[in-house]
Amino acid sequence: MLQLIFFNITNGLIVGAFYALMAIGLSLILNLSNVINFAHGGFLVIGAYLAYTLTPYLGFWGALIVAPFLTAMIGLIVERLLIRRLYGRDPLYSLLLTFGLAFIIEDGTRQIWGAQGLPFSVPQALASPLSYEFFFITGYRMFMVAMVAIVVGLLFVLLRYTRIGVRIRAGTLDLETVASLGVNVHALRSLNFAVGIFLAGLGGVLAAGQLGLEPTMGDGLLMPSFIAIIVGGVGSLTGTLLGGLLIGVAAGVTAVIFPSASDAVMYVMMAIVLLVRPRGLLGEEGMMT
Amino acid sequence: MIRRLASGALDRRTLIKAGAAVGLVPFAAPYILSARGETPVKIGLDNPLTGTYAAVGQNELIGCQLAVDQLNAKGGILGRQIELLSEDSTSGDAGTAVQKARKMIDRDNVDLLVGNVNSALALAMAQVTNEKGVLHIVPGGHTDGITGTDCKWNVFRVCNTTRMEANSICPLLFKTYGKKWHFITPDYAFGHTLYDGCEANLKKLGGTVTGNELTPLGITDFSAYLIKARAANPDVLIVLVQGNDMVNCLKQISQFGIDKQIHVAGTQQELESVLAMPSEARVGVWMFEWYWKQAAATPGLDQFVADIRKRSGGKVPTARTWFGYVTIHAYALACAQAKSIDAKAVAKTLGDMELPPEVKLQPNKVYFRGGDHQLMLSDFIGELRQQGDGDPENLFKVNDIVSGDSTAPAVSETGCKMNMPT
Repeated sequence: MLQLIFFNITNGLIVGAFYALMAIGLSLILNLSNVINFAHGGFLVIGAYLAYTLTPYLGFWGALIVAPFLTAMIGLIVERLLIRRLYGRDPLYSLLLTFGLAFIIEDGTRQIWGAQGLPFSVPQALASPLSYEFFFITGYRMFMVAMVAIVVGLLFVLLRYTRIGVRIRAGTLDLETVASLGVNVHALRSLNFAVGIFLAGLGGVLAAGQLGLEPTMGDGLLMPSFIAIIVGGVGSLTGTLLGGLLIGVAAGVTAVIFPSASDAVMYVMMAIVLLVRPRGLLGEEGMMT
Repeated sequence: MIRRLASGALDRRTLIKAGAAVGLVPFAAPYILSARGETPVKIGLDNPLTGTYAAVGQNELIGCQLAVDQLNAKGGILGRQIELLSEDSTSGDAGTAVQKARKMIDRDNVDLLVGNVNSALALAMAQVTNEKGVLHIVPGGHTDGITGTDCKWNVFRVCNTTRMEANSICPLLFKTYGKKWHFITPDYAFGHTLYDGCEANLKKLGGTVTGNELTPLGITDFSAYLIKARAANPDVLIVLVQGNDMVNCLKQISQFGIDKQIHVAGTQQELESVLAMPSEARVGVWMFEWYWKQAAATPGLDQFVADIRKRSGGKVPTARTWFGYVTIHAYALACAQAKSIDAKAVAKTLGDMELPPEVKLQPNKVYFRGGDHQLMLSDFIGELRQQGDGDPENLFKVNDIVSGDSTAPAVSETGCKMNMPT
């Protein structure tokens, strides 16, 4: 039993790292632009399908690099054409817009690639467990965690030590002051949105290695990401990371004790956080440090 | 903020109106698939075209379309052309499915309603068709109740009950793999009845259940359950989840190398799922409800496969395509035999009607059972192939074709009390 719980905590951290990747992209966009991006799961699906299409030409590794960039480009176009018009309005507007977008992307994917799921393999070198005992730690999952760590690390460095990063953080706190200081807020928001969508695209490629590729694959990953943000605290990227890891572990441990509640436990956690500490675990200053 | 709202290009009222308009689109005119003749016989298909079951719903639609076109080319039903109407029921929203069913019955005046892939939606639709006295065929919803405790005079089912599925394969799994079984079961009506069927079989054979992992529908990560399953050290891991859950589960099983330590098998498997898996995940012994490649020559099979390939971009028919095809042909045959399209007359004829070779497309006798309106169809038992044999879509090796008569429990055991109207 003890070993089972230990296994599931480790496993939960792996799963949680992935939730965190999705959630941080969402969180970036939410913090700076006040847009609740319901289409985030859709962009994940776009990333995954683009990787599927590109793999025969570029191989898995090439697709892993190119697909998220292409997804970010699509995200940028969407931001320029649609989302930009709703900045400054009640977040409900952009929520409705992205909600509609999510459906459009799902059906668009079905039109282009078909309703039938598609097979997607990961490189042979990563597709097996590292040891007999810890069979759930596969090369691919370790690679995923490493990717998440690298990307999150880079993002934190970017936000902390670069001019753009400082502007994004400042904009999160008080966009009007940042704008009055002469910063091009439009460009800043576009870039920030693209980075968020890049993370969704990357998450899509990574997810495709473990999940079946089909137009609704983003649905199951979107809710945990929202919950990670709420548990961690809106406005705090560290909080989002922590929230992702926490719900991953909670779902894993619950699966040992009460399997059919492993999905519901995330919502229970969210409810408790909202009751006891409504701003989330680390959502104090709205700053990421 | 207020000023911006007032001067903006899009105000709230416009948005809400637009939203309402978008919401109404699905209820507007249905997509008419084929319409000829003066007073056509109308068939309404209320099945998923979006969501999780979009792929299987699409295949059932293709099967229906082929049958309608074949029949219309030969003069339709009783000299009247057939008009097939199709509505998207969604994959899981019973409210929408029921609304569409009512619309097709009340406004479009369909003579036959067909659907649904989702068992829960099929049951909800059956309430409506029964209340309205409209004939209803369920092509692909498996939960026992439809032709069991909830059976109705106007409702017929083409696909297996979950009990039939369990009965068809459990004895073989027991003999081949051993007596300690661990289950991964989807946590809803279909999964529960399928598990019950397997457990009953296993008890009878003298085996034990080491655990049953009830997984929420649509879950993406199975690792926590797989860790538990392996720790329980069973002889065989039985995977009962379906659709994309099946793809995710088997993909993760193969990445964890579990299939190399424990036998992996299950009951119902579908070509749609197998095609979506990478080759290394295609492992184990399963049952298909129909398969496009059969060892012995089957009359009409090659033609059926060729006709479907023409309509689906070269893809072969799956069990789902066959369900749709059988549904329409069985109805047309019953109408012709009853010389009427009156629901009661057709229902009486359909009960105990045997399907001809060019419709059943398989060796054993296939017929609707009068007592519970369940089709006695064969189950195809065999192993998954990692690579297609002769054809990229030939991913299943059929070892045995078990007749419906031998897998279905007697009518008296199904809980069905059929009340035919006089």
